[in-house]
Parts: sequence; structure tokens; C-alpha cells
Amino acid sequence: MVKELEYKKIKTEKKTFFKYLNYLSYPIGLFLAIIVFSVTLLLLGYDPISALVSIPTGAFGNPNSFSETLIRFIPLLLTAMAFLIALKARFMNLGVEGQLYIGALLAYLVGARMEIVPSFIAIPLIFIAGFMGGVLWIAIPLIMKSKLGVNEIFPTVVMNFIAMFVIAWLTIGPLKDPASFNPRTPFLPESTWLPLIDLIFVSYIFVSIFGLAVTIKMYLKWKERKVHPTLYLALTFTFLTLTIIILSMGLLEAIEAITIGEYNIYRLHIGVFLVVIIALIIYMILYKTTIGYKIRAVGQNPRASEHGGVNVTRVVITAGLLSGGIAGLAGFMEVFGVHHFLIRGFSPGFGFIGIAVAALGVFHPIGVIFAAFFFAVLQVGGESMQRGAGIPVDIIFIMQAVLVLTVLIVQKWMSTRNSS
Amino acid sequence: MTDIITSIIAGGVVLAVTILFVSIGEVYNERAGVINLGLEAIIALSAFVGLWVTFETTPIFIMDPLLKHVPYILGTLAAIVTGAGVGLIHSFTCVKMRVNQLIAGLLILTLVDGLANFLNNIALQTTVPIVTILPPLIPQETGLADIPVLGEILFQHNAFVYLAYFLAIVFGLILYKTTWGLKIRAVGENPEACDAAGINVNLIRHLCDIFSGAMAGLAGAFMSLGYLGLYDSGIAGGRGWIAIIVVIFSRWSPFRAILGSLIFGLGYSVTANLIGGGFIPSNWNYLLLIMPYLVALVVIVLFRGTTKAPSALTVPYWRK
Repeated sequence: MVKELEYKKIKTEKKTFFKYLNYLSYPIGLFLAIIVFSVTLLLLGYDPISALVSIPTGAFGNPNSFSETLIRFIPLLLTAMAFLIALKARFMNLGVEGQLYIGALLAYLVGARMEIVPSFIAIPLIFIAGFMGGVLWIAIPLIMKSKLGVNEIFPTVVMNFIAMFVIAWLTIGPLKDPASFNPRTPFLPESTWLPLIDLIFVSYIFVSIFGLAVTIKMYLKWKERKVHPTLYLALTFTFLTLTIIILSMGLLEAIEAITIGEYNIYRLHIGVFLVVIIALIIYMILYKTTIGYKIRAVGQNPRASEHGGVNVTRVVITAGLLSGGIAGLAGFMEVFGVHHFLIRGFSPGFGFIGIAVAALGVFHPIGVIFAAFFFAVLQVGGESMQRGAGIPVDIIFIMQAVLVLTVLIVQKWMSTRNSS
Repeated sequence: MTDIITSIIAGGVVLAVTILFVSIGEVYNERAGVINLGLEAIIALSAFVGLWVTFETTPIFIMDPLLKHVPYILGTLAAIVTGAGVGLIHSFTCVKMRVNQLIAGLLILTLVDGLANFLNNIALQTTVPIVTILPPLIPQETGLADIPVLGEILFQHNAFVYLAYFLAIVFGLILYKTTWGLKIRAVGENPEACDAAGINVNLIRHLCDIFSGAMAGLAGAFMSLGYLGLYDSGIAGGRGWIAIIVVIFSRWSPFRAILGSLIFGLGYSVTANLIGGGFIPSNWNYLLLIMPYLVALVVIVLFRGTTKAPSALTVPYWRK
């Protein structure tokens, strides 16, 4: 009996060891990505060190660039979430890009007719329109999969191209702004633009949300009372205090800003809050509700869940529609928050980058939040590097792909080590 | 009217070539049980590499009229090697390390697309690489090209066009008539049985994946050396994805891939000719560009019952 227990203990310890070893894939991936970056630049005669340093300074260097980073974070997080939630039900949604475009189109069509409607009515309506646009575009592959038994990979990819060309045609044809030479529509009425928010305030709120999350995690650990209960209790109180301090500092800042009338307003809009809330809601749906449990069960083993009494088709359709809708929201936020008009190719492949983001966040909603932020930092930093040192920003895409590929390979390698 | 139809068909024969090259490779790859979604980007990268090598070597060989085709051969070889290299990365990731093939394919798409645009932007800082398009294979003196209708359709193309149709037939025969072909098909259907029969499953998959990359490289070489003569970031234009759909349409057979490629090639050609001839306003071209994809969607739906994908497609193999 004692021996058996000891054996079990060793086994679980070994498992946790490998679980933590999994996180080693990130430094390895980052290291390899930086190596590729530096070697490429060295071969071409640039200075890799200054280029590497210019990425974080370009992303955080001044308030304006930090606001740009947060703006880039919005579509990356949403597209990654869209891909992730469908993948959890074993539906490869490669059509995020197309759903994003059509969501933006439908939102635009609704928004352009909202000139006299006050914004607190207009924006929710447009929000729903964007969601429905994505739903509409994913419905076709979903119907093809569930009714006709067609694998979803090719229909979703094909729908991307159709959406892209539809937008391209509309922005140089029927919807084109006659006063502009660019392939874009006229500006949307100002009442439908997503409201801008104070950058400092956002930062304080995000840090306190993060602190609160850590506090809750520590509290739960303490409640389990398995290992080091005193330590976790102490950590809970520490993080709680820190969170309260940061939150009160943020509130003081806000009061001060309101009294003086001096705001830190850049291009950052309210979408940044919405996306984090959406990500947390998806986390709750996936891990705390029955439908989320069903989605994950179908993703793990469709046949077993069918025998367990789950209506697999319905679950896949639910997850798929949610995925399309979230992708549509990404298009809505990009158009109504950043551009304020519909322009050809307003998405530089967010739908495909979202897949890389989801893979970097190990297909977990919370991990994806950090992965999306990291990708946003890389991209905005890379753009400033392009302006500064003249190095094409495309090297950032190479770096991102190398990073994610290495992470996937190392994690797979470690999991095979672990199981055998 | 005859002129237009002739030029549409002749254009279709040429435009089918890219799709055909890619789909031959992808047929082999999918028959062995691996799918590579990064083909679109491999076309772009190898198009750039092929163009650049040809552009750089042209001044060396320009003096000797006998050697004037050598730069094109070098460029094509460089493009093939590039494609095969990317195929090797994909096969290492998916076959050896068993990462999800679809996700790895899309990551390689991002990687290779970024590399192609990066190299192009670097090259553009000093010079714009442009080459003259490879001249037709059959000399004007033979008079074959002057035959009224058939001349334009059949005898005015460059070596790549004939090579594509030739390779489709050759690789079709290899797939169906030789032991190697049998092994490839078996690996995609039942890897366990193949392993028991002493076939090295993963070696065949590696080779097929590299082969499919090399064929995409050939397609890229055709795009830059045999069709456009220059590089553009959208050079592949969705042809890599269309090729993957042609593979389904052709039911994983190189012979039927000729038919599938010709259909899509004719579709592109009709669009180009209608706009070039001024029959429709030019801002409609995007609407017409949707057509191949709508056709693809209909094809996928119509052929859903008759097509049976290789059983082990996207399933990695290892000894348990």
C-alpha cells in the first residue's frame, strides 16, 4: 500500500515536472527566432542589435506607440479566439479572414444609415450586425459540413477569397467614395465611431485585472490546502493589496484627469476593453458551462461524445457560429474603431496571423491574450523598425512563424517524451 | 470571334500550367498522407528566387548565343531547390515531429510569404529584377506556329508549358504503373500495413513532401520566368489554393489534374480576355475573379460523394 502510494507520488511529480518543462519551449522558440532574425540581418549588412532593440522601443517608447500596440492587439486577439473556439469543437475555421471582411461589410452597411441615431443605440446595433456578418459567412461551410458531409477546410479557405474580392469590388464600385482616389468608401457618420478612451486609465485597469486574476488563482490554491498553505495565503494578500493600490492609483489618475480636463487620448478606442471581456467570456463558456464542456468533449472525441448523448452536429454548429461571429466582430472593430471607412485590404492577413497567435497561446483563451499582445508588440515594433532602419517589416512575420513553429515542435517532442 | 475564342483557349492552356505543376506535387503528397497548405507561398518565394538568379546570371551568359538559355535553367533549378527546401521544413515539422499538418502548413505559409516579400523589398532597394520571358520552344521557322487556330493554341508556348503536361502524364504513369507509385498510394491508405510489409512509411512521406515543394517551386519558376518576367507580392494570386482544390476535383490523379487545371486556367483566361478586350468595365474584374472560387465551391459540393480522400490524410504515423 505504502509502496503504491509512493509510486503514484513519483508519477505525479514526474508529470508536473514535464508540464513545467513545456514552458521551456517559449524561451527556446524565442531564442531561435532571434537567431534567425539576427543572422538574416547580419547577412544583409544591417545591425541586428539596434534593430532588435528598436522593436520594444517602437512598441512602448511613447504613449502614441503604446496605443498603436493596443489597437493592433484587438483584431489579433479576436481572430485567434475565433479560430480557437471552433478548433475546440474540431472545426478547422480557416476562413476567419473572410468572416472578418463580411462582418465589417455588414456593420458598415448598417452603420452608414445611422446618421441621426444616437450612438448608444447605434453602436450596439452595429455590433450585432458585425457579429451577424461573420455568422452569415461561416454558415455556408457549416451547412456544407453538417448537411452534406464536406470537409470544412476547403470551403472556408475559398470563402476567404470570395469575401476579399467582394470587398475589393464594392470599394472601387458601388460603395466607392467619389471624392477619394483610394479604393475606399466615404467616412462613416461620427456618431457610430467607437468612443476613444484614456490610455493611462486603460493601463491601470488592465494591470488591476491581471492582479485580480492572480489573486483569485492564489486564493484557490490556498483553499486546496495541498502544498504550502501559508505561502499561498501570504501571496493572496500581497497581490490583493497590490491590486487595490494600483486600482486606487488609476482612480486617482482618472479623477485628476477629469478635474483638470487633461486626457491622454490617442487612437485607442473602447474595443480594447470589449475584446478582453469577450476573451474572458469565451474562457468562461469553454471551461465553466455545460455547452463548453460539450464543445471540448466533441473536440476530444466526437464518437465517444455521440455515445454519451451529445448532439455532435448541434455542438459543432454552435461553436462554429460563435467563431464566425467573433471573427466578424474583429472586422467591425477594425472599421469602426481605426479606419472609420471600409477600405480594400484593411486586414493584413489578421485571419491567418490569428491562427499563429492561437497556436502560441497553446489553444487556451488566457494564453491567447498574452500571445496576441506579444504579436502586437512585435508587429508595431517592426513597423517602427521599418520606418527607422529601413528593414522591411516582413522579417517580423518570419520571426513570428519561426517562433510558433519551434514552440509547437518542442511541445510535441516533450509530450511524446512524457507519454512513452 | 474565332480570334477571341482562340486566344482564350491559348491563354487557358498557359494559365493552367501553374495550377498543374502544383497539383501534380500535391497529388503525390496527399496520396502519401500529407497535406501542405503552404504551397501558395512556396510559389511566391521560388518565383522570386528563380527570377533573381536568372537576373543575376544573365550578364554572364549574354555574350554567347549558344548559352543564352543557361540563366533560365539555373533560375529554374534554384526555384526547385528553394521549393524542395521549404518542403523539407514542412516534412520535418509534420512527418518527423508530428505537428498538426494544417496548422504547420499555415505557419509555413506565413514564414515563406514573409521571406519572399522581405527578399523582394531588400532587392528593390538597389534594383528592380526584370527578365525577358522565356521565348517559345518551337522556333518560328518551322511554321507550326502559323497554322491558323491550332498554331496559337498548341505551338506558341515556352518549354514550361510542354513540361507541365509532359510531367503530369509521366508522374501519372509512375503513380499507377510502378511499384513506387503503389507504395506511395499504400502509405496514404494504410500506413500500419505498409510498415508491417517493410516499407519505410515516413521516408516515403518525407520524399513526397519534398517533391510537392519542388513542384510548387517549378510553378513559381514558370510564373516569374515563363509568364510575367517580374516579381510581385501577389504573384501566386490564389493559385496555390486553387491547386489544392483541383487535387480534390481530380480525385487524387495526375491525369485528371490536367483536366481540372485546364478548367480553372480557362476560367482565368476568360476573365483576362473579357477585361482586356473591353467587353466589360474594368472595375468588374474583382467580381469576375470570384468566379474560379465559386466554381471551386460547387466542385467541392458536387464531388463530395465520389471523392474518397486517402484514409490516412493528415494522420501522422509512428510506431506505437
